[in-house]
Amino acid sequence: MKKGKTLSHAIVAASLGIAGLGFGFSAAADVNPPLAALGMPPVPRDNPQTPEKIELGKLLFFDSRIGGDASVSCADCHVPKQGWGFNDPISRGYPGVIHWRNSQTVINAAYLGKLFWVGAAKSLEAQAPGAALGAVSGNGERDMVEARLAFIPEYVKRFNQVFGDDWPKVNNVWKAMAAFERTLIHNDTPFDKFMRGDRSALSEEQVRGFQLFQGKANCVECHNGPLLTDQKFYNLGVPRAEDWSESGLAQITFRYEQLAKGVTEKLYRKIKDDAGLYYRTKQKSDMGKFRTPPLRYTAYTAPFMHNGSFFDFDEIVDFYNEGGGTNEFTDGVMAKNKTKLLKKLGLTDEEKADLVAFLESLSGEEIKMTTPKLPPYAPLPAVVQAN
Amino acid sequence: MNRTVSSRISWWAALAVGVAVIASPVVAADFGPVPMLKVDAKKAALGKRLFFDARLSGDAGVSCSTCHIPEKGFGDGLALSKAYPGSDGFRNTPTLINTAHKAAWFHDGRLGTNLNDVTREMITETYVMNMDMRLMQERVKQDPVYVKMFKDAGYGEPSNGSVRKAIPEYLKTLTSRGSPFDAGKMSAAAQSGFELFKGKAGCSQCHSGPRFSDDTPHNLGVPENPEIWSNPARHMTYVAFGMFMGIENYMNIRRDVGAHIRTHKADGSDIGKFMTPTLRELTHTGPYMHNGVMKTLEDVVAFYNRGGGDDINKDPRIKPLSLSQEESANLVAFLQSLSGQPLTGPEHVWKDPINVNYAVIKDWLKQKN
Repeated sequence: MKKGKTLSHAIVAASLGIAGLGFGFSAAADVNPPLAALGMPPVPRDNPQTPEKIELGKLLFFDSRIGGDASVSCADCHVPKQGWGFNDPISRGYPGVIHWRNSQTVINAAYLGKLFWVGAAKSLEAQAPGAALGAVSGNGERDMVEARLAFIPEYVKRFNQVFGDDWPKVNNVWKAMAAFERTLIHNDTPFDKFMRGDRSALSEEQVRGFQLFQGKANCVECHNGPLLTDQKFYNLGVPRAEDWSESGLAQITFRYEQLAKGVTEKLYRKIKDDAGLYYRTKQKSDMGKFRTPPLRYTAYTAPFMHNGSFFDFDEIVDFYNEGGGTNEFTDGVMAKNKTKLLKKLGLTDEEKADLVAFLESLSGEEIKMTTPKLPPYAPLPAVVQAN
Repeated sequence: MNRTVSSRISWWAALAVGVAVIASPVVAADFGPVPMLKVDAKKAALGKRLFFDARLSGDAGVSCSTCHIPEKGFGDGLALSKAYPGSDGFRNTPTLINTAHKAAWFHDGRLGTNLNDVTREMITETYVMNMDMRLMQERVKQDPVYVKMFKDAGYGEPSNGSVRKAIPEYLKTLTSRGSPFDAGKMSAAAQSGFELFKGKAGCSQCHSGPRFSDDTPHNLGVPENPEIWSNPARHMTYVAFGMFMGIENYMNIRRDVGAHIRTHKADGSDIGKFMTPTLRELTHTGPYMHNGVMKTLEDVVAFYNRGGGDDINKDPRIKPLSLSQEESANLVAFLQSLSGQPLTGPEHVWKDPINVNYAVIKDWLKQKN
C-alpha cells in the first residue's frame, strides 16, 4: 500500500510529541499521517460561516418540506438521538421504500473530502442534494423545494438576509445545510484530550488499546491522521446485507440501485452485493471497496460498516482479528480486490478488550439537539413585494 | 399573427354563410356514438391492475384511480384535484372516459402526442405521483402476479416501457356507451336542447364530433378559482409547474395562464385559453370547467347565456344568447342525455384485492435479477 513516507510526516509526529508519550512508536515503524487531536473543520471560501446561515441551515436540516412528500427531513435518516445516523443496519428510506446502505453520522462529516460510502460527493454542499433528491432517500425535486420555500415568509426573509435571494434559491438550501453541519463537530473526546497532553484522559486499558491500534492490530494503517481515516477505498470482505435475501422491499431497492448506478445489463442480472466504488469508476478492481470511515462518535453510531453488518465494537474487532471476511468481490478472479492489509491478528481476549476500550475513547459527550420550531406556510399577497 | 387573423376572418365568413343557410354549424354532421376501440384484452387487463395500484407512486400511496375514480366518471368529484402528499392540485380532474380518442391532453393541451407520454408524465410528475420510473419497474418486477401478467400479455419481463403501454391499452376500454343520445332515446326536452345546441346557443362551434370537443383551446372568460391563490399548497404547486414549464414572472402570476404554458405567445393572446372539454359523462363529472368553479350544468348554461366572463382574450363567439328559462332547461336536458352507463363493473375496474406487500424472492442468490 501507499505509505507516503515523508520526512515532513516524521517531523510532524515528532513535533506533536507523540513519540515522547512513550508508546514505542518505532515498533509500528509507521509512515502514515500521525494520529492527532482534531482541530476545526475547513470552511470553503465560497460558503463562509455566519451565525444566521448556520441557524437557517439548522431549520432546513429539520424541515420535512424539503422531502418529496413533505414528510422526510435530513433528520429522519440522520437522527440526533441515533448518533445522527440511523440505528438499523440499512437506513430507512423514503416512505414506501428502504435504503440500501447504512446511514452515516453527520457528526464530523465537515472534515471529510469524500462523502457517501464511496465518495460520490466531495463536499457537504454536494452531498445534501444527493440525499434530498434521491428516489430512495428524500425524493424531493428542486422546483418544488423552491416553490414550497417561497410560501414560508420566515424563510423568504432569512434567505434574503443570508444570501440576498429575492426568493429562496435551492442551491442556497444546500449551502445553509452545509454551514449547519460544519458546527456538528466532535473534537473533544478523551482521545483528543489525551493527544493534547492530558495523560489522565485515557485509562490504562485504553492506552494499551491505543498501542495495539498502532501496533499489533495495525488499525492505523487506514484509520490514521486526526480524523482516523485515510479516506481511501478498501474491500475488507464485509459480508453482504442479510436484508437482500430476506426482504422483498430490500430486493427492489437493490435492483433499483444497479439501474441508477448505470451497470451493464449483464452485471445487473448477476450481481448480488453492493459493488461500492465500482459504481463510480466501473473498474472491476474497485468492486466491493468502500471509503474508510472516521472512528470518532462511534459509541453512538452502531451498527457499523456500509451495510451495518456489525452491531458493536466486539464484533468489529473479531472481524479484523480473523483477517476480515469474504464477499462476492473477494472470490475467484476477484481475489485480489480484498486488501492485503488484513491478516489474522492473533489478539488475546485481553488485547481485544483493550482495543474496544480504546475505540470507546474516541467518543465524548453525546451531541443532543431537539427539533427546532419550524416556520409555517402563508399565502402570498396579491401584489408581491419582493425583497 | 397574419395567419391567425386570416383564419379568424374565414371562420366568420364560413359561419355567416352557415347561419344564413340553415343556422347549423359546419361540424354538426360529426355527432354520433364514440366508436369502440380494438383492444388487446391481456394488455388491457394488465393496464387495469396497474391503474389501480398505488405502488406506482413514489410513496406507494397514490394510484391513477386516486383522482380518476370510476364512480365519479373517472374524475374525482372535486372542484380542484388532490395532488401528491405535500402539494395540492390547481385544476379540475378531467374524466378519462373517451380519453384515448383525444388529440391533446390536459386542460392546457400541453401534451399532443399520445397516452404513453401522458402516462409517463402523470407517474413521474412531482406533484402527481412523484415516481422514479426505474424504481417503479423494480417494484412491479417484485410482484409475481405482474410477472405472469406481463409475460402473458407478450411484454416479457416487467419494464417501465411496458407499463406505459399497458395503461393506455386499458384506457382504450373506457369508451362511453348507452347514453340516451346514442340510443336515440332522448326526451322531448333533450331533443329541443340538441337543436339549441346546434343552433341558437352555438355550442357546437367548439363542442363538435362524437366527444363534443374540437380538441383546441379557447378563452371563455371563466373566472379564476380564488382557492388556488389563497391556499399555499395549491399556489405553490402552480409555481413549481410554472417554473418547470418556463413561464416568465411565475412568482407574480395570480391566474392560470392555460395554453400559454405551452405556446408562450409574446403578445399573451393565448393566456386563459383552455381545451374544449368533452361533454360526455357530465352527470358523473362535475364540478365543471378547468378549475371547477361551476357546480352544476345549470351554472354552466347560465354562464354561456350571459355571454361568458370578462377577459381581454375572450373568444368573440362567446356572446349573450338570450335563452329563455325553458330553453336553458332544455339545453341542460340535452347535456344530461350525453351520459351513459357508469363504467364501474369488473370490465373496467380491477376488483381483486392487490397484495401490496412485496413477496421476497426465494433463493435470491441463485436467481437472476
